[in-house]
Amino acid sequence: MKHFKRLGSGLIYLYAVAALLPLIWMFLSSFKSDGQIAQNPLGLPTHFDLSVFKQSWSDGGLGLYAINSFIVTLATVVIVLFTSSMAGFALSRLKFKGNKLITGLFLLGLLLPIQAYFIAQNQMFDYFHLKDTRFALIIPYTAMGLPLAIWLVKTYIDSLPKELFEAARIDGASDLQTYRTLMLPIIRPALINVIIFTALGAWNEFLLALLYIQNESLKTLPAGLLTYSSRYETNYQLLFAALTMVTVPMIVLYIAFNKQITRGLTQGSLKG
Amino acid sequence: MKPSSKSGLLFLLFPALAIYLFAVIAPFVGTLGLSFFRWDGYARPTWAGLDNYIRAFKDQVFQSTFIHVLIYILVTLVVEVLLGIILAGFISSRKKTTFLRISLFIPVMLPSVVIAVLWSAIYNPDYGILNSILADLGLANLQHVWLGDPATALLSICFVSGWVYSGFFMAIFVAAFSRLPSEVIESAALDGAGAYQIFRKIKVPMIQQSTSVAILLCITGGVQGFDLFYVMTNGGPYNTTEVPTTYLVKTVFANGEIGYGSALAILISLVGLFAALGFRTWQSRKQEELEY
Repeated sequence: MKHFKRLGSGLIYLYAVAALLPLIWMFLSSFKSDGQIAQNPLGLPTHFDLSVFKQSWSDGGLGLYAINSFIVTLATVVIVLFTSSMAGFALSRLKFKGNKLITGLFLLGLLLPIQAYFIAQNQMFDYFHLKDTRFALIIPYTAMGLPLAIWLVKTYIDSLPKELFEAARIDGASDLQTYRTLMLPIIRPALINVIIFTALGAWNEFLLALLYIQNESLKTLPAGLLTYSSRYETNYQLLFAALTMVTVPMIVLYIAFNKQITRGLTQGSLKG
Repeated sequence: MKPSSKSGLLFLLFPALAIYLFAVIAPFVGTLGLSFFRWDGYARPTWAGLDNYIRAFKDQVFQSTFIHVLIYILVTLVVEVLLGIILAGFISSRKKTTFLRISLFIPVMLPSVVIAVLWSAIYNPDYGILNSILADLGLANLQHVWLGDPATALLSICFVSGWVYSGFFMAIFVAAFSRLPSEVIESAALDGAGAYQIFRKIKVPMIQQSTSVAILLCITGGVQGFDLFYVMTNGGPYNTTEVPTTYLVKTVFANGEIGYGSALAILISLVGLFAALGFRTWQSRKQEELEY
């Protein structure tokens, strides 16, 4: 039995290392010349020259893509945080005509795949001259993040004791005051999940980024990387350098916050 | 509680509602409406009634995309959910699993474009590692132009999806296992049940709800899958990896058939929805049968 368990352990570690191989190969290849990559794909790099990263970042335009992704992601997260916490609070605690209808409307968003609306959205954004602006991404990313964010905030507040809010009301606080001073601090745990899946969703989104932004200087990382990879199709080292530069910071970030990120992402998908 | 003031309520609700109505609900209604018109995006749209839908049902390429996506869903379902649950079983019965949990989950958070470009390189016949590894193992006769060969392209993409999402489902199952009451497992262990028996007879049946959710995610995620297919093969070779979403994007953005594309979009959304609903009903029926 003991041997069996040890064999199992060995196998699973072997599997984990095999699963990491693609990333390790990517990392090592970014230090190899094109010739070395083509002739000896499995070989180790002979020297570690960092200038290729600089070249990929500035000449290749990766830096610009990264900045664009950062701006779009940050704007999306901030807007989703405020609008979803306000709406989630109102829908959870306040009785008014139309509450159920609005809640249902947001729940519908959990069921609608992006295919159900992006064609007319594209036409609308054309009509309003939103395409090739950052708003063409910030607006839909926000709208797509809202249903789940509101749902998470609402169910979180639903689970809190009613007395908390009634006491604030008796003390003469208005709803806006209650939201700002009492609610925002309390719902932090729910908001951390909202931040994680909204940020990763916006950072990684590809379809709309591909369709709505043609201007090179506004492209975000996913769509930018695609242009980059066709531009440097035969320039293997630059391709791997770009992939490494996108991947390594995300891995570091994940190692630092792995518990929160895993929870945020799994919860983010367990909608409905 | 009644709102303290109407304006306060409006202030809380309006921003979220406005953005959502503008960017999701209105375009959804618009897409639904467009699906009944013939429109190239420039000239005046003309009423088409159900023509677009009738054409979709006769469109053989569109039909084949559902066969491809069905294969994709079945393969990823088996690979991802099964592997995920086995990995989770190992991890939850051990201590010190941080390295495993982290290394297997990393691909999940990376942009799918990065993954698609990286794996295109791995599959590349000129400098990719897959063919060189095969050669080094003396299996050169297994070498392929992985993404360019109709026989291997679809499965090669399934494999990439498996590489990414088995870690994701593992995380879901690890969370589910950790919520199980430890007394049940401990008493089974006291009764002499081995680790495998506990896993198979107690742990897996007890997390049935999570398994259902995982299967549901696999189905809906499969129908909506786009990024890997678009970047790695864009439907080729010879349409063998054409899935509903890549065909949809081609119809609308390469051929400019907005009305027809809208009908395809609505059908794709409905198929996803019905597949999910169908699975749910089947699940709850099965549950009821078990209870009686």
